[in-house]
Amino acid sequence: MRIKIKPGKFALLATVALSYLFLYLPVVHIGLASFARNSNFPYPPKWSLDIMARLFSNSLYQTALGNSLIIGIFAALLSTALAGLATIGLMRHAGRRAPLYLALFIAPLFVAEVLLGISSLIFNGLFLGLQGNMVSAILANTVHCFSYALLIIATQLYRYDWRLDDAAMVFGASPARTFFEVTLPLIWPGLLGAFIVTFIMAFNNLEISFYLLGATPTLPSAAWGALRYGVKPELYALATCVNLIVFVLLAVMFVLMRTGLVTFGHRPERERSAV
Amino acid sequence: MAYIHLDGVSKQYGSVWAVDRVNMAIEKHEFVSLLGPSGSGKTTLLRIIAGLERPTTGRVLIDGEDVTELPPHKRGVAMVFQEFLLFPHRTVYENLAFPLRMLKLPKSEIEARVEWVVGILALRGLEKRYPNQLSGGQQQRVALGRGLVGRPKVLLLDEPLANLDRELRQEMEVEIRKHQTDLGIPFIYVTHNQEEALSMSDRIAVVRGGRIEDFASRTDIYDRPKTAFIAQFVGRSNRFIGTAATAGDTISLSGEGVRIETATRPGIADGERVAAYVKNEKVRLRPASAGGAGAANTLAATVRYVILRGAYAEYVLGWSGGELVASRPRSEAEFTEGAEVVAFWDAADVDLFPVPEDSR
Repeated sequence: MRIKIKPGKFALLATVALSYLFLYLPVVHIGLASFARNSNFPYPPKWSLDIMARLFSNSLYQTALGNSLIIGIFAALLSTALAGLATIGLMRHAGRRAPLYLALFIAPLFVAEVLLGISSLIFNGLFLGLQGNMVSAILANTVHCFSYALLIIATQLYRYDWRLDDAAMVFGASPARTFFEVTLPLIWPGLLGAFIVTFIMAFNNLEISFYLLGATPTLPSAAWGALRYGVKPELYALATCVNLIVFVLLAVMFVLMRTGLVTFGHRPERERSAV
Repeated sequence: MAYIHLDGVSKQYGSVWAVDRVNMAIEKHEFVSLLGPSGSGKTTLLRIIAGLERPTTGRVLIDGEDVTELPPHKRGVAMVFQEFLLFPHRTVYENLAFPLRMLKLPKSEIEARVEWVVGILALRGLEKRYPNQLSGGQQQRVALGRGLVGRPKVLLLDEPLANLDRELRQEMEVEIRKHQTDLGIPFIYVTHNQEEALSMSDRIAVVRGGRIEDFASRTDIYDRPKTAFIAQFVGRSNRFIGTAATAGDTISLSGEGVRIETATRPGIADGERVAAYVKNEKVRLRPASAGGAGAANTLAATVRYVILRGAYAEYVLGWSGGELVASRPRSEAEFTEGAEVVAFWDAADVDLFPVPEDSR
C-alpha cells in the first residue's frame, strides 16, 4: 500500500524541515567539528576528544567559564527577584498607572546593549564608586535581564488569583507565611523560567560584560578575543560547551512543563467557573 | 454587649462611599444575612469585618475586642468565598488542615479536627484529591469545612452558593444552617438572593447604596417591609401608584382604575404620590361571576398565563392598569387561561410608601 501525501501537505512538511535545518545545521556542524580530528571539514567525522581536551587545559577559558557562571547566576538571581517584586507591585498596587510603570520597566529592552554597557561603566564608576569589575558587570546585566524577567513572570502571575492570598490571610497566615505557603508554590514555575532565561542571557552576554570587565575574560569575550588569531578549533569546543549548557537548561524547563510539575501553577480555567 | 459590633463603619473608594456609616450589633449564635443587590456594598462590609479592607472611618469589635487595626490573620475569623478559593496546590486534607496549622495546633489535634470536619461534611474518601479533581458541590463543602475547622469567632460567607445549581443550593442551605446551629458561632452571610437569606437567617440586614436599609428578623423583613425598596426587593410584589387620601383611620390610594384602602401610616400626607405593594401570594382570586369587582381592594382581571411552580401556580392577570401576579397553592380552585376573575386582597396586606424618587 502506498502512502499518498498531498502536495500541499508535502510543501508544509518540507518548509518545516528546511526551517529546522536552517536553525540547527550550524550548531550541529560545530558540535561535530568539536569532537572530530578533522575539525575543519568533519564529514565523515573521525571522533576524537583532542579539541575538548585542549579547551579544558586552557586556563584562560577556565577562568572565563567561571566568570560567566558567576555573572549568569547572580544577574539571574537579582533580576528574577527584582522582577518578581516589581510584578507583584504592578498587579496589586499600581492601579490605573500600571501601564506607565510597565512601559518604564520594559524600556531597557530597547536600549542597545553596547550603550547600556558604556553608560553602566560610566555611571557605576562615577556614582557607585564601582570600577569595571564583576559586581559592576552583574549589576549592568541585571538591568538588561530585568525587563525580560518581568515579562516572563508577568505572564505567569497574570493567571494567579490574588484572592488566594486573601484566603490564606483570613485563615491565619501572616503576609510572609502567605507568600511562602501559597503564593510562591503557585508562581515558582514563572520564577524558574525567568531565572533560566536571564541566566542564559547574562551568561552569553558579550557587549555589556565586555565594557564593564575590560581584561577580565568571560566566555563570550574570550571567544571574541580569540578571533584575532583566527578561528581556532578550541572555539568550536567552546561553542559546543556553551550550547550544551543552554540546551540542558532548556531541557529542564521542557521536562518540567511536560511532566505536569509546572501545571501545579494556578490555572483558573481548571477551576470551577468563577465570576 | 453584642458579640460583634460595627460602629459607624464607612469605606470610601475615590469619591464613592461603598459603605456608609453602618452600625450593627450581632449576637453570638446568630445567623445574619447581608442582603442587597450587587454593588450595594455588602461584600465590602464583609471584607471589612474580615480585615481584608480597612474602613475609612468607624470601628469593628469582635468579642469585645477592637480589631479595627488588626490584620486578618490575627482576628480569628474565617471566610467562605464565592469562588471557593481552595489552595489548588494542596489536597483536600491539606486545605482543611491549613487553618489549624496556622493556629500551631499539635499534629494529633489537627488530625482529629480534620477528621471531624470530614465527617460532618461527608468528604470521606476525598482527602487525597486536589481541588480541581472535585465537583462544584464538593469544592463548596471543602470551602465550608475549611471555614469551620478552626472554630472561628465568626464565619463570614460571601455568596458561597452563587456558583452552585439550584438543587445543590437548597441542599447546602439546610446544611449550612444546621452547622451554624450545632456550632453556635455567628455566621454572617452575604447574598443577593432573597431566598437564601430568608431560608437560613435569624436576622436580615438589607443593604442598599452602602447603607443598612433595615436590620430585623426575617419575618419582619418579609412581612413588614420598612421601606419601599425592601417591599420591592424582598418577596415578589405587585405595585400600584396613585395619590393618597386619608379619611379617619384609613388611607386610600386612587389611580389607574383601582382603589386601595388600608390603615393610615405615619408620614404619608394627603395628596402625596404613594406606592402600594401587595405580595403575589396575598392576592386572592374568585370567579368574576361571584361579583364585587367595584369595591376597594378588588379589581376585575383576565387570566393571561398560568405558570406552574409545582406546589403553587402563578396567575399572570391582565387588568385595565396593566399586569398583576397572583400566586396560590395548587390545592385551591384553578382558573384557566382566559378566565374572567376578580382579584382581591386584605387591607392589612397592603404596604404603603411614598413613591421613591428613583422609580418615579
